[in-house]
Amino acid sequence: MIYLDDNARIDLHLHTTVSDGTDTPEEIARLVKKAGIDLFSVTDHDALKGCKVIAGLPDLDAAFITGVEFSCKDEEGKYHILGYGYDPDAKPINDLISKGHGFRMKKTKERLEFIKDRFGFEFAKQEIKELLELDNPGKPHIANLMIKHGYANDKKEAIRKYIDQKRFKSEYVRPDEAIRAILESGGIPVLAHPFYGNGGDLIIGEEMRERLVRLIGFGIKGVEAYYSGFTDKLISQMLAFAEEYELYVTAGSDYHGHNKIIELGDNNLDRVGDGPAGLKRFLNDVRTIKA
Amino acid sequence: MEEVRGEVLDKTIILHLSGHIDSNNAGQAWDEIREILAGQHGHAVEIDASKLDYISSAGLRVLLRVRKDHPELKITGVSSEVYEILDMTGFTQMITVEKAYRVVSIEGCEEIGRGANGTIYRIDQDNVVKVYNNADALAEIQHEREVARTALVLGIPTAISYDVVRVGDSYGSVFELLNARSFSKILANEPDKFDWCVKEYVDLLRKIHGTVVPDGELPKIKSTVVSWGRFMRDYLPEDESKKLMALIQAVPDDNHMIHGDYHTKNVELNGDEVLLIDMDTLAVGHPIFELASMFNAFIGFYETNPERIKEFQGFDYETSNRFWKSVLAAYIGTDDQERLQAVEDKARVIGYTRLIRRSIRRHGLEQEKTKAEIEWWTAKLIDLLHRVDSLLFLPEEIVLDADTNNLQAAIEFIDKHLAEAGCSMKAQMQLDVSAEEIFVNIANYAYAPGKGKVRIKMTVEGEPPVAKLTMIDCGRQYNPLEKEDPDVSLSAEERQIGGLGIYMVKQSVDDRTYEYRDGQNILTMIKSIQ
Repeated sequence: MIYLDDNARIDLHLHTTVSDGTDTPEEIARLVKKAGIDLFSVTDHDALKGCKVIAGLPDLDAAFITGVEFSCKDEEGKYHILGYGYDPDAKPINDLISKGHGFRMKKTKERLEFIKDRFGFEFAKQEIKELLELDNPGKPHIANLMIKHGYANDKKEAIRKYIDQKRFKSEYVRPDEAIRAILESGGIPVLAHPFYGNGGDLIIGEEMRERLVRLIGFGIKGVEAYYSGFTDKLISQMLAFAEEYELYVTAGSDYHGHNKIIELGDNNLDRVGDGPAGLKRFLNDVRTIKA
Repeated sequence: MEEVRGEVLDKTIILHLSGHIDSNNAGQAWDEIREILAGQHGHAVEIDASKLDYISSAGLRVLLRVRKDHPELKITGVSSEVYEILDMTGFTQMITVEKAYRVVSIEGCEEIGRGANGTIYRIDQDNVVKVYNNADALAEIQHEREVARTALVLGIPTAISYDVVRVGDSYGSVFELLNARSFSKILANEPDKFDWCVKEYVDLLRKIHGTVVPDGELPKIKSTVVSWGRFMRDYLPEDESKKLMALIQAVPDDNHMIHGDYHTKNVELNGDEVLLIDMDTLAVGHPIFELASMFNAFIGFYETNPERIKEFQGFDYETSNRFWKSVLAAYIGTDDQERLQAVEDKARVIGYTRLIRRSIRRHGLEQEKTKAEIEWWTAKLIDLLHRVDSLLFLPEEIVLDADTNNLQAAIEFIDKHLAEAGCSMKAQMQLDVSAEEIFVNIANYAYAPGKGKVRIKMTVEGEPPVAKLTMIDCGRQYNPLEKEDPDVSLSAEERQIGGLGIYMVKQSVDDRTYEYRDGQNILTMIKSIQ
C-alpha cells in the first residue's frame, strides 16, 4: 500500500538500457524526481534486471514498483502485458524471462546468419558478442550495426528491406503464460496501451472489448487507460471498460529516453486525484519497494 | 527523409507528410518535425496530409506531440482512410481535421438552379453539385450546411449536402437530388401545372413563415435591411431617406423563419416531395422582407428589361407577373386587388431599396445603362415612400396542421388582426375562447384517427369594426352549432359532459353560421369588437 496525495504524479511505464531505452536504470531513478514523479515503475521488455538494480539502490527519491513488459502472442494477435509489484526473486517470473530470452537469442542468431547468407552483411566478432550479451537484443540493435557498417541508410530500410525478408516460425510467450507467471510471483498483470495492441496496432470498439474479455479470462487485472499516445476519447473509452469489468487502472508514458518522442511522465494523467477508483485501488493493492 | 517536408507560408508552417508513418519511422519523423518547428515561435502549424497514405498508432503519437506544443494545429487534405483512423481514435475531436476534396467536373452538366452565391449543376442521375462563386467558399459551405440542418430539424423539407468537392478553382457541395425539377422548369414547360405550382409554392412559403426558430440559430434579416436603409442615405433626399429608415425600424423583430431567396429555381419537385434548396440566405424576420425579395425575383429585376427573365428563369415576364400576383393573393388569402396592391407596395419599398444598392455597389453611378435603371427605381421608391406608411401587413388566412400543438399559432394569428384593429380586451378574450373551442374540436375529431389541415380566415372591416373569423376543415361533416345547449340551470354534477364549449361560442359571438360545401366544414363567427 502506498499513500500519495491527490497532486502526486505517477509514471508506471518506463524503459531503460536493459531493453530499448537510452537511460540506465540508475539514471532513470534520478530523472523521475526531476520530472516531478512521485511514484514510478520500470517496465523493460522481457527483462527484470533494471528493476533489480533500482530495488538495490541505497536511496530513492520516489516510490518504486517493480515492473516488466512482456511481448506476447497467440492465435488472436499480439499483446504487451505489464506486470507490477512482483517479487523479483520469484521463480515463475524468472523462469518465463529465461524462456523468452532463449527464444530471442535464438532468433537473433538466426537473423544474423540470414543477412550474412543472403546479403553478405558481416560484422566483427566483438560486435556480435556485445550484441548477444545485451539483455534483450532485437531487430533495432541489428539495424544499428548495419547502419554503422553502411549496409543500410536508416533503421526503416535495414528492417524492411533486409532483416524482415526472413520470417521465422517463431516461438513466443503466450499472454496466458505471462499473466500466470506475474500472478504466481505476487504481481498484478495489466494490459499495456490497450488500443495499440503490441504498440503499432489499432484496436477499436467491439474488437477491443472482445480482446479484453479474452484476457480477463486469462486473469488480467488492469488496463493502462492513461497513456501518452491516447486521445481523450480513447482514455474515456478505456476507463468505461475498466469500470464495466472492474479492472485496475494505471498510467504510463512508455518513455524510452531520447529514442522516442515521449517525455517522462507524459501519460495524460496530471495528478493522481484526477484518476478513477480503479487507479486508487491499484495503488492500494500493489506492492511497492520503498518510498 | 522523404516522409516529412516543411514549408513556411505567410505566418503558417506547413508540414507535408507523405507515404506511411508507422513505428519504423515515427521517431525519425518526429525528429525532423522538431527540427523544422525549432525556433519558429508565433507561427501557426498546419499538417498537409494529402500525400499521407497510412498512419499507425506510432504516427498518431507524433500528431499528438505536435498538438501538445501547437494546440491550434490543423490537419488538411486527409484521405478517407486516414480520416477514418483519426475519427475513430478521437483526433477529429481534438484537432481541426479537413478531409481531402474529391474533384468533380461540371463540363457538359445541366444547370438546374442559380442562387445569389452559386450555381447548381446535375452531375449524374442522383446527384447535384452547388458550385460557389466565391473561390474561398469553405466557410460559406459550412454555414449553409448548418442552416440547412437547422431548417431540416425544424421540419422544413430540404436537401443536406453530404460531401464537399473541388470544382475547378472553386468548391462545391454535393447533394442527393433524384430526378428533381425546379418550379421554374415546370412553369416554363408545363403551363397546365400553373395552379398546382402556386398552391405548392404558397404552402411551402407558409410552412417556412410558420416555423419558429430558436434564438440565435439564424441571423436576423432586419439588421441586414437596416444596413441597406443606411446605405440609401447618400442616394435619397433627406426626408425620404428618414422615412425609409423609420419604416424599416418600425418592423418588429420576428422569430419566424424566412428563406431570403425564395424564387422558383430554389424550389424543387423531388419525386412527390417539394424541396427547398439554396439555404445560405436563411434568416429570421418579418415576412415582408421575404415578399420584397420575391417581388424582385419575379418583377423588380426585370421591370426595366423584361426580356432578361427568360434567360434566368426559363419562363417569360408575363408568366412571372401572373405567378407573382397569384402567389401573393393565395398567400395573403384574398382576391381584393386594392389590399393586394397595398401589400405589394410595401414589398416594393424594400425591393427597390435593394436593387438600387446592389446596382450602385456593382456598377457605380457612372455607367450609362445602369444609371438610367437606378434613376428609374429611385423615382419609384420616392413615390412609394410618399404613400406607404407602414411595412406591416397581415395575411388574412393561415393554414395549419389540425393539431392542438398549433392552437397557439392560431390564436396568435387572430390576436394580431384584433390588435391592429384596436379590439377591446373583452371582445378579444371572447373571440379567442371561441376560436380555441372550434380549433380543438377540429384537431381532436375532424380527421381522427387521421390527420388534416385547418384553414383560418380573419378580417376586420367596417366602422365600427366587425371581426369575421372563419374556420375551415375537410374532415367528416359535422355542424357543431346543432349540438343541443346544455341546461345551465342544472348543477355541475348533473350536467352532461361536453357541449358547454359550443354553448360558450354561441354566447360569445354576435352571429355564427355553419355550411358544408365542396367537402368542407365552414364555420363563420362574426363579432363587433368595440
